[in-house]
Amino acid sequence: MIEQLRQRLQALQKTAGIEDGAGALPLGIAAIDAALGGGLARGALHEIAAPGEAQLAAATGFALGLSALRDDARAANSSSPLPWGEVGAPTGPARLGRLDDRLRAPGEGLRLIENHLPPHPTSLRSVDLSPQGRGERKKSFVWIAEDMALIESGAPYGPGLDQFGLAPEQLLTVGVAHRRDLLWAMEEALRCRAVHAVIGELRHGALDAVAVRRLSLAATNSGALALLLRSAPATDASTAATRWIVGAAPSLPCPGGGGEEENRPRFATHLIRNRRGPRGSWILQWSDIDERFVLATPAQPVAMPALDRPDRKVA
Amino acid sequence: MRGEGRDEGAFRQSEHSEKPPHPTSSLRSEVDLSPHAGRGEERALAVYGKRGNAETLVAVDDAAERRGLSAGMALAQARAMHPEIEAVPEDAEADAQLLENIADWCLRYTPLVAIDAPDGLLLDISGCGHLYGGEQELVADLGRRVERAGFAYNVAIAGSIGAAWAAAHVGEPASYLCGEERSLLAPLPLSALRLAPTTVAALARVGLKRVGDIIDLPRSPLTARFGPELMRQLDRALGREHEPLNPRLPVAPYVAEQRFAEPIAREQDVLAITERLAVRLKFALERRGDGARRIELTLFRTDGALRRIATGCSRPLRDAGDIRALFAEQLAALSDEFDPGFGFDMARLAVVVAEPCPPEQIGIGGDNGATEAGRQVDQLVDRLSARLGARRVRRLIAQDSHIPELAAATVPAQTTRADNGWQTFRRHRAEAELAPRPLRLLTYPEPIEAMAEVPDGPPLRFRWRRALHEVIAAEGPERIEGAWWSEQGGAARDYFRVEDKSGLRFWLFRAGLYRDLAPGAAAPSWFLHGTFA
Repeated sequence: MIEQLRQRLQALQKTAGIEDGAGALPLGIAAIDAALGGGLARGALHEIAAPGEAQLAAATGFALGLSALRDDARAANSSSPLPWGEVGAPTGPARLGRLDDRLRAPGEGLRLIENHLPPHPTSLRSVDLSPQGRGERKKSFVWIAEDMALIESGAPYGPGLDQFGLAPEQLLTVGVAHRRDLLWAMEEALRCRAVHAVIGELRHGALDAVAVRRLSLAATNSGALALLLRSAPATDASTAATRWIVGAAPSLPCPGGGGEEENRPRFATHLIRNRRGPRGSWILQWSDIDERFVLATPAQPVAMPALDRPDRKVA
Repeated sequence: MRGEGRDEGAFRQSEHSEKPPHPTSSLRSEVDLSPHAGRGEERALAVYGKRGNAETLVAVDDAAERRGLSAGMALAQARAMHPEIEAVPEDAEADAQLLENIADWCLRYTPLVAIDAPDGLLLDISGCGHLYGGEQELVADLGRRVERAGFAYNVAIAGSIGAAWAAAHVGEPASYLCGEERSLLAPLPLSALRLAPTTVAALARVGLKRVGDIIDLPRSPLTARFGPELMRQLDRALGREHEPLNPRLPVAPYVAEQRFAEPIAREQDVLAITERLAVRLKFALERRGDGARRIELTLFRTDGALRRIATGCSRPLRDAGDIRALFAEQLAALSDEFDPGFGFDMARLAVVVAEPCPPEQIGIGGDNGATEAGRQVDQLVDRLSARLGARRVRRLIAQDSHIPELAAATVPAQTTRADNGWQTFRRHRAEAELAPRPLRLLTYPEPIEAMAEVPDGPPLRFRWRRALHEVIAAEGPERIEGAWWSEQGGAARDYFRVEDKSGLRFWLFRAGLYRDLAPGAAAPSWFLHGTFA
């Protein structure tokens, strides 16, 4: 009896958000995954803020990209002989992505490449050759926003989502009238085990710590990805596992990059808070074929971003 | 205190009609609160309205009747006789509303309640009497409650609507058995047959004044002279021809109800009783292989008010626990509006919409994980819809349209399932090589001030929401024709995907083409329609 109670207490007392019980969702970029300690923690709350109202679409894209990341990473990890950190140059995936694109039709071409290139956990595996595979393997995701936000910044658009690599039929949009309802709906959605990711769009204003903690706990229990999308960087303290500031990056053709790269959205991402490791800044590009992010810059930035210098402000 | 007016009810064996209050009943309570109430001497109250071109008394109360006033009297005459009477203009809308409320309240006796305008109700009580220990007891209970609410009434039970109506309005309000219609109707005036006044007058001219006068007359001459309506009404009143009752509310296919000796008021009690009723419904649903898609909980408050709470679900539902959970969300959302007052003395759970629900096989077959996940998502949809409203929880569906804002629509998630047309959209997208579409689309395109280098080209810079954006890259135009087959189709649009200096990507369009421009007309305007990631 007492033993049981003790166990229950232990379960209740566990700190929300930083446990890796639910595992991590690797982004497939060595530098970021290393900083995040293996990937974006599932079953935790992550805050993604746009630097300003106008940049909200970019932050939205980043959040959607995170929620579109494949869940089969753990299976890939176990079968891959190489651990994450040792995957070769970060340019690899980008180039592979294009190769995949070209070699999509003949199936044996893929196998050929797989044999000759250092194996990358997701890039090859995630190319779905079966026509029906796309909608089937994905789990539902929920987008919750206040009515005003949907009117002001635009509602999620099905054809656009589809081109982005998300299955619109899996999206559940919830419009709420008050923030109170938004937090309640997020919590409800996070409790549902069939939901893969929950995106809550929050307009201006601070969030109280209790609400954030409730969300974190709900996410921990189900292992879902809780993403809080904010239209401006938050100033309040938060218990979120990570905090990002994500804006749009100019899609200038990068040196050595092909022409079709220009169509791909680019994000200037700043990881400004990380409970598991260092912070950092990266320019990422979304590849809708692989459905994953790739580094848009050929290598690590020469200088660390201004974020690590307390005397300078974040752009 | 009792209201006044011709408030009668007619009933009958299978149909029973009741006449509820009439205007003065509802007014009385207001007047009582007014300063006159304390005077000791009761003031006469009359309601008047325009009939033809004259203002006429429509209803009078007891006190006014004692002074010799009656409905149908001219208002001027009544005022001349008794200057102190209180005359109030009639409010037909409020009366109709009141009648509807009473009709709803009568649902506690039978689900078949019809309104007999302007002041009557018809209740089909076939098979309902035993719930109260007999028809007489049912009527007695109804009378007690109506009287306590302050209404005067007449009530009669008979075997046909016509006979019950006649007994309640003209004859002796009582209970008549089937087959007694003839003896009941014979002595009554012809107006008891619900005939047009002109027909009654025409019959009176030839000396036919009572129903008994025409019952045994040859039918064809009467029909030839007075029209088929006369014989039909007679047949209906005598029960020779069936008269359908048109219930005010659709009758639910599955109903379970519970009365309480002591009123319940607490939310937990309401939920507990909901679950118990749901268990009862479950058996009925299972027997016919149905599941509930829409469920309504009706709570009858002791003071006669009704609380109706309805909830929908995305897939046919039978489980009592699930139904209880949905109502728990509804009650939480209602919070203050759910005012139990002195408590509810009856609860009814009705499945308003039922759908075939095939029995589920558990544990066999490989697809179990997917169906389980689908079920969980449906449960989430139901929970969210119950709390926030079904229209707030939506799914995207693809529509067959080339116009961007019509290509996708949002519909309540409970009404849709599965694919929603996106497979077709994907095929079309692959075939047509659709140009990029934005992630977020504005509900209405917002006008922008744009400056283009060449008339047909993309803008060089534009101002949206007071911020200036310098365009450094543009893709387009993608020409999307308006709906030319429709009057409001709008002009063709040239869409551009542009990127500004800071990397923001927008979807702009120019409404109208320069080549279509009439000489001297203003240049086509620019709009921003969406944003890319």
